[in-house]
Amino acid sequence: MLITGIGVISAAGNNVVETLSSFEQGTRNAGPVTLFPTILKAPAFEVRQLPAEYYLEGWRTVSLALIAVDEAMKDARLSDLSGFRVGVCMGTTVASQLNALQFYKAYRETGAAPMTSVDRFLKGNLAEYIARRVHARGPRLSVVNACSSSTDAIGVALSWLKGGLCDIAIAGGSDELNHVPYCGFNSLGIANPGLCAPFDRDRKGLNLGEGAGVMVIETRATARKRGVVSPLFLSGYGTSSDAYHLTAPSPDGVGLKAALRAALAEAGISPGEVGFVNAHGTGTHDNDLVEGKALADIFGPELIMLSTKGFTGHTLGAAGGIEAVFTAAGLRAGWIPASAGFQNQDEAIPISPVRERTAVCGQYAVSTSLAFGGTNAAIVIGREEDA
Amino acid sequence: MKISGVGVICSRGLGVAAFEQALKSGWRKPGETEAHWLAPLDRLSKSSNPADSTNSGDSMSGLTGLGGEKAPAYLVTFDALPDKTLLKKIRRADAVSKMAVLAASDALVNSGMENIAAKRLGIIVATALGPHVTTFDFLDDILDHGDAAVSPTTFSNSVHNAAASYIAMSLNIKGPTLTISQFRFSFQEALRLAQVWLDQGRCDYVLAGAVDQYGDVLGYVADHKLTTAKDGRIKPFTFNPTCQVPGEGSVFFLLGNTSEGNVYCSVSEVHANDDPGQGKSVDINIIDADGMLPDESAYLAALSNDIPTAAYSPLFGSMMIGGAFNAAAGALMLKQQTRYATPVQDNPRGIRMLTESGSGGIGSIRCIGFDCYAEKSVIYLTKA
Repeated sequence: MLITGIGVISAAGNNVVETLSSFEQGTRNAGPVTLFPTILKAPAFEVRQLPAEYYLEGWRTVSLALIAVDEAMKDARLSDLSGFRVGVCMGTTVASQLNALQFYKAYRETGAAPMTSVDRFLKGNLAEYIARRVHARGPRLSVVNACSSSTDAIGVALSWLKGGLCDIAIAGGSDELNHVPYCGFNSLGIANPGLCAPFDRDRKGLNLGEGAGVMVIETRATARKRGVVSPLFLSGYGTSSDAYHLTAPSPDGVGLKAALRAALAEAGISPGEVGFVNAHGTGTHDNDLVEGKALADIFGPELIMLSTKGFTGHTLGAAGGIEAVFTAAGLRAGWIPASAGFQNQDEAIPISPVRERTAVCGQYAVSTSLAFGGTNAAIVIGREEDA
Repeated sequence: MKISGVGVICSRGLGVAAFEQALKSGWRKPGETEAHWLAPLDRLSKSSNPADSTNSGDSMSGLTGLGGEKAPAYLVTFDALPDKTLLKKIRRADAVSKMAVLAASDALVNSGMENIAAKRLGIIVATALGPHVTTFDFLDDILDHGDAAVSPTTFSNSVHNAAASYIAMSLNIKGPTLTISQFRFSFQEALRLAQVWLDQGRCDYVLAGAVDQYGDVLGYVADHKLTTAKDGRIKPFTFNPTCQVPGEGSVFFLLGNTSEGNVYCSVSEVHANDDPGQGKSVDINIIDADGMLPDESAYLAALSNDIPTAAYSPLFGSMMIGGAFNAAAGALMLKQQTRYATPVQDNPRGIRMLTESGSGGIGSIRCIGFDCYAEKSVIYLTKA
């Protein structure tokens, strides 16, 4: 399936070009939380300049999604959807929950509360909102698989396209930085008081972030019919459950390895054909240890890999979409940035991420996600050899 | 795609037998739950003892002294379950996860297939609102104790895919595990995805189902936006005006492309947002009408006098995932070759209603749902 368009917004930039510039310069746009009042001090990666034309009161997750959708559709030269079955599959965490503190505070104090927040919530289901906005008439799914949501959303889109449920899919994810998960991750003791350092020996946890990453994926026949060409394609998706623990990954990484093997099998490639891996790499002790070992087991110790969360923070339900876009952009550009925050090799992890901008060769790249609840997901993105 | 096992939990109990008994015996007045939003403002007070709460679906754990304001609701009662072994395994889980685990486990047991968990099994959980009660518990934490003193356990359980995770852990399922959330057709989309997964060999069987929970805030919102039937009687055939009574529960189906197990029927087609088979003849229509839309007149155009129509929402309550329960009723009818009479038969529009129970001659059933945009979903079930 061809990837004909990509769009992204995060603290690293409001589009793909700005993001690659941040990557080149090693810019890390983290800072104190400004979006809501809190006594907590953990820095976060906020999108500082949301374009005014996309601002929607109380719908930040939707706003972020629309920016990425519009960029991806423009990149794909997709404006008129008539005549095509277009599916929309989006991952999120925040948009699926009525995390409305003021609404709830008013309700529990008075037994009544204005319905503004509820109305926004009911109209803001991510996939449904986007499908209506772009007039897509195919299948719609909002995937709420915690931190693997949008990797899974892209995988679902691949399944839809292969299964003939649609001709084109708009897939990815979006999440805003929200007060409730910000408190939640702090309570879990995995919020870093400084900047995150994925895979580093001295890593102290994650930083939360926000953003959206979206791909337009279509069958080759549809792209031909539309007169669109692209060197990028989506060739595999694998997913599995650890069946181990609600918040901790299985120490043996067996679930992640199963997801990786399934994704490679669907792509019809061997691990040696993968040029680089954009790892989930949150900067927490457990995630990076388990993921690093699993990646080394599958791909070997010489694997070229990175985590881009040092540039974006952990964007939760958006992470997989954002990182899929970064992976596609890296394949297209032929380089990946330094894995921001990484300095010292962890002796317990048999691989280490790149420390500097690195040229990548090879036709394929992999992006991984691990989630609360023990779900693991991986996708394989390819670039045409003659591109 | 075949339905090879069904698991159900709702206010009428756990298991297909309890659900079938509800279909046979008809409507029963639902229980009542505290309705904090109906309390006069001066009687709302915060208790110093959160343990005072008596309603398991009440996120406002500190609210007491409300003077007995009640509203009808079709609620699940875990206390009445004869076997609590599984519940003990997931004692830290919240109510929505417990319902999902019980229904999913029940579907596996109901399939009669030995060692099914050892096969390549996937999970798809559809929900409209997820663990919203736990989310509000977490908001209580933030409001009562501040940002730095909230419960990590509550936060973990408030994540939407917690129920799927508990299913995977409880039943040792390691295949694809996905949670999806939409307000109206999430169950229908789950079925479509299950079919694709099976066809593409991503797994051999899929446990696909739906779960939603009642909570005080949901009760308030539903009562504010819709009309609540104070007598507890949902009247699905009134269409406009409508009345709702909140429900909760979970339904799971074991789906596969083979005829193994306790086969109920085939899921021959599923469509969301359209119905290319609009004129197709079936033996029975089942409609999802349940008062969750203020105007359900869209159903009228989808029905005809040639086909008897049933609606079972008065048995389990109004839920945005109610279509899953109706699909379970349809599957059971096809398997047992038994028609179940519509439980509440108020019929001001003169629709050709399935009014009497009876046996034989059911080859196909169409389950119909509409959303607030008058978009249609359909599930076609056929005799296996």
